[in-house]
This record gives sequence, structure tokens and C-alpha cells, in this order.
Amino acid sequence: MIDQVHLLILAVILFGVGLFALLGESNVIKILMGIEIMIIAINLIFIALGTEITAEGNKFTALAQVFPVISLAIGAAVMALGLAIVINNYRHAKSVDSDEMSTLKR
Amino acid sequence: MVDLTIMIYVLMIIAIIAAIFAIEYKNLMLSVVSLVVMNLAIWGVLLLFEVTLFAWIQVIVFGGGLTSLFITVVALTERHKDETFSWKRTVIAFVAVAIIVGIFIWVIIQYDITSITGTIIGFGDLWDERATDIILQGIIFFATTVGIGVLFFHQKKKKLKEKTKV
Repeated sequence: MIDQVHLLILAVILFGVGLFALLGESNVIKILMGIEIMIIAINLIFIALGTEITAEGNKFTALAQVFPVISLAIGAAVMALGLAIVINNYRHAKSVDSDEMSTLKR
Repeated sequence: MVDLTIMIYVLMIIAIIAAIFAIEYKNLMLSVVSLVVMNLAIWGVLLLFEVTLFAWIQVIVFGGGLTSLFITVVALTERHKDETFSWKRTVIAFVAVAIIVGIFIWVIIQYDITSITGTIIGFGDLWDERATDIILQGIIFFATTVGIGVLFFHQKKKKLKEKTKV
């Protein structure tokens, strides 16, 4: 029987993959992909912790889905902003490398 | 008929593998395709868990909208290959992530979170749930701070090198 612990472990592993991208990659597009994976992982943790255990089994409540939906909307806005900054930086520096991002201040 | 438990396990494994491929592919278009596969796998997991509302919104916003944005950005930047690779950075990141994920999985198994959720929530249990969220947020802030700090010092070093050359 699968319960929310499995969902939590999936979320933690996905969070780790996203964190690895954030720390280990220098390509900004991949860093943004890592942040997207981390947002999905946090939403999964919200869902898993909102479980209601009944006699029939685990029940994922409707209320527990509200916070992830808000988080998802904010995450989408953040990603769109990040991608806009990437394109803006590419026009200035002709690079998507995070080490070259300092040229944005010029 | 295929057992639902096996299907959920398979979808979870596909999601993890697709996430790793999305990070590790050199070709950025293939990375985006892997991200879509990961989104679809998580959509399947959520549907099988009967989290219908969130599953559909997630696949529409992340699987559809953001993917189109990613494809646009990859096409506009005209750098389809990610050539940058640093062993030092990768090893440090891998060790940090392995420690953090290990601690989290140990905490989840050790404290038996199934007994926290679903029962009557007392003060201590509420604190435990909040603590999990706060720890995760703390990690995000820590990672961001470290990233910005590394960029700052890298830039300082570059400037120093340029000065010494002149």
C-alpha cells in the first residue's frame, strides 16, 4: 500500500535533483529548470502533508490542494521573470552563463 | 489489470529519471523534453492519488505554459548546447545534495510522519509540520545566498586579475 511517505520521499529526491542543478550548473536555463523541479517538489510535500487518514485509506483533501495551487501560480510568475532576465542578459552579454550575469548592471 | 501500486512506483521512477536527464542533458531542447516527461509522470502520480484539481492545474501551467516559454528561450538564445562543466562545482554540489537529501529521508522515516498528519493536531505536531516547511525554505534561501556569494567573489577575483594584468 502506497501512502504519503512515498510521496514525501519522491518529493525530497526531486528537491535534491533541483538543488543539484542550482548548485552544480552554470547555465542559467538549467538553473531555472532546477528551480521548477524544486517548486514541484515543495508542492508535492504540501499535498502529502495534507493527507487525511481514514479507515478506508489515505484521502488527499481538497483543502490541501489550495496552497499548492497558489504556490504554483507564484512559481510560474517567478519562472517567467527568470526567463525574461535570461533573454535580457543574452542580448547584452551573448551568453547564458551565470558567471557572465554581472554584465546586467552595465 | 495492472496493479495501481506498481503503476505509481513506475511513474515515480520515471519522474526521478526524467528530472535527472533534464539536468544532465547537454542538448537544451532534450532537457526541455525531459522536463515535460517529468511533469507528465507527476501528473499521472497525482491522478492515481486522486489529487485531481492540482494534477490538472500543474500539467496545464508547468507542463504546458512554462514548457512553451522554455522552448522560446532556448530558441532565442541560440545556444542549444551546454558546454560548461566544472568538476569542482559538480562534486561540491553532489556532496551537499547527498547530505541534505539523506538527512531529510532519515527524518521522514525516523519520525514516522504518517502518525503526525491525519490525527488530531496538537501544538507539538503542528510545530513539526511547520518545522519541515521552514527547514525547506531555509535550504532554498541558503542555496540562493551561497549562489549569489559565489558570483560576487568570482567577479571580485576577475577584477583583481584584470588589475594585476594592467
